[in-house]
Amino acid sequence: MTPSASHAPAPAGVTTVEFGGVQVPVHLTQAPWPDPHFDVEQYDPEADLVVLNMGPQHPSTHGVLRVKMYLDGEICVKAVPYLGYLHRGVEKLCEKLSYVQITPIIDKNDYVSPMMNELAINMAFEALIGVEPPPRSQFIRTICAEIQRVASHLLWVGTWGLDMGGAIGGGATIFMHTFREREMILDLFEELTGCRFHYNTHCVGGNRHDLPAGWDKKVAAVLDHIHSRSFEYEDFLTDNPIFLARVKGVGFIDPTLMLELGVSGPLLRASGVDFDLRRDAPYMAYDKIDLNVPVETGGDCLARFRVRVAELRESIRVARLLLEGVPEGPICALKSITSPSAVKVTDGSTAYACIESPRGELGTYVTANTERKLGPHPYRCKIRPPSLHCLALLPYLAPGQNISDIIVILGSLDPIMGEVDR
Amino acid sequence: MAPPPRSPPLPADAVALCQESFGLACDSLEGPEVPREKLLDLAWALKEDLDFVYFVYCTSTHFPADPGKDLPDRTLVAYRVRRMPNRSGRPTASFPFRVWVPTGEATPSLCDVWLGADWQEREQYDLVGTLFEDHPDLRRIMMPEDWPGHPLRRDYAIDTSHFPWR
Repeated sequence: MTPSASHAPAPAGVTTVEFGGVQVPVHLTQAPWPDPHFDVEQYDPEADLVVLNMGPQHPSTHGVLRVKMYLDGEICVKAVPYLGYLHRGVEKLCEKLSYVQITPIIDKNDYVSPMMNELAINMAFEALIGVEPPPRSQFIRTICAEIQRVASHLLWVGTWGLDMGGAIGGGATIFMHTFREREMILDLFEELTGCRFHYNTHCVGGNRHDLPAGWDKKVAAVLDHIHSRSFEYEDFLTDNPIFLARVKGVGFIDPTLMLELGVSGPLLRASGVDFDLRRDAPYMAYDKIDLNVPVETGGDCLARFRVRVAELRESIRVARLLLEGVPEGPICALKSITSPSAVKVTDGSTAYACIESPRGELGTYVTANTERKLGPHPYRCKIRPPSLHCLALLPYLAPGQNISDIIVILGSLDPIMGEVDR
Repeated sequence: MAPPPRSPPLPADAVALCQESFGLACDSLEGPEVPREKLLDLAWALKEDLDFVYFVYCTSTHFPADPGKDLPDRTLVAYRVRRMPNRSGRPTASFPFRVWVPTGEATPSLCDVWLGADWQEREQYDLVGTLFEDHPDLRRIMMPEDWPGHPLRRDYAIDTSHFPWR
């Protein structure tokens, strides 16, 4: 294993322009962007605007999102997202629970990739108390994160296919295939942690569960299976003219807009910005591997599909590589990991840690309690969800689009509402 | 073995900018404490001169009045912005900065500088009650429109029921 890959050169035939010190494809820059605070009264008085509510229970909103759309015929003039239907007060709960008790709550934030939530928040707590997890724990965490990324992208491909409904092989076909593969990964996690979904396997200072005997062989078999199937799924969709008609050239996103909004992850990489926290600010065991970051310059829905599929294969490669090199040793740096008072920080200091989740930069900003009498709880715990920033793109993307394309574009953003609303 | 740092290290050029152009001390990983009147100038300088184009987060923390230490009721608004890595070998770096806002007063909104501040500031207004001056659309984002109070304030009564929700 050799550390750290470098940035790939720009593909031939793509003209770039500099923004913020990085080269972005010039064909995607489209400033000025639509104004999300545009007053519809100012719109053409001859037009007969219709207000349409999409959601909060629309199947393609991936959770409970309501979008109020002003339509001129079938063309969207203004889209106003209303959030908060899944707001559970997670940040307030964090102020009332001890550091050890927070992990199972955080699992429910991004319910498609719970491992990522646990990793992000426990990294922040570890930074706060000044503990580093032992090497074996770092490897286990990285392997779990990569397998979770595969599961998350599989789910996205399936549900995005559902969004496009009957257009691709009866709608539910690709969904059934990817769900079958995702179940295999959930089975692996069940064997490791005892839970299929909300694992509670990361703790402050390391992991709760060590790798079961023979688990690595099962993982390798499942990953091999998914790797071969991933080519089938790609052919299944990209050889389908109806699928291509729905996604190719639809929903171009300006990389400069995404940078300003704080959007990262596959969306940014599909628009030609080569940024991945796993490679650029390595955490856990990512500094021990040579990560290839797939970048596309298409910037449309098809490019986002290609980036995610390439990322899925890269995650499979990384997980396999790491499985071969898991070091022996303890899996937790702290002794009493289950006691709520195991972590005591009362100096009011703050810490920030961020990871690359399947949707982008997932960060946690945590402030320790200022006084001993307040107990072993965080004073303030702020989750920086990547999905919130992805969803903030919608008011910029929707104006001028046909309503059927808005469904496809919203699906390609992959927002998880549990994480947006918290 | 030295413990790992609490936050990513501060980039040297941003520290130099704060010290030389704005006279701000940058001696902790939590970033400089910026006076409100200098906030917009610093934000523009970070974005235009030092390429911090990516908005990471805006968060605010409420601290109740402490008569013993003669401290008023106040809010700490913390920001973090990021610079992208590029092909000439510049690594990614993030830079935090903080603003103290007395309760009842407003701090300049950074929406004009970074578009990502829009929803983040709405969220902080909704949950912590921080007021942002010149925000284009400062209304609640998570809680219902007619919700009383701001839940993440330390003096918010969590044990009482809130009509019509319980």
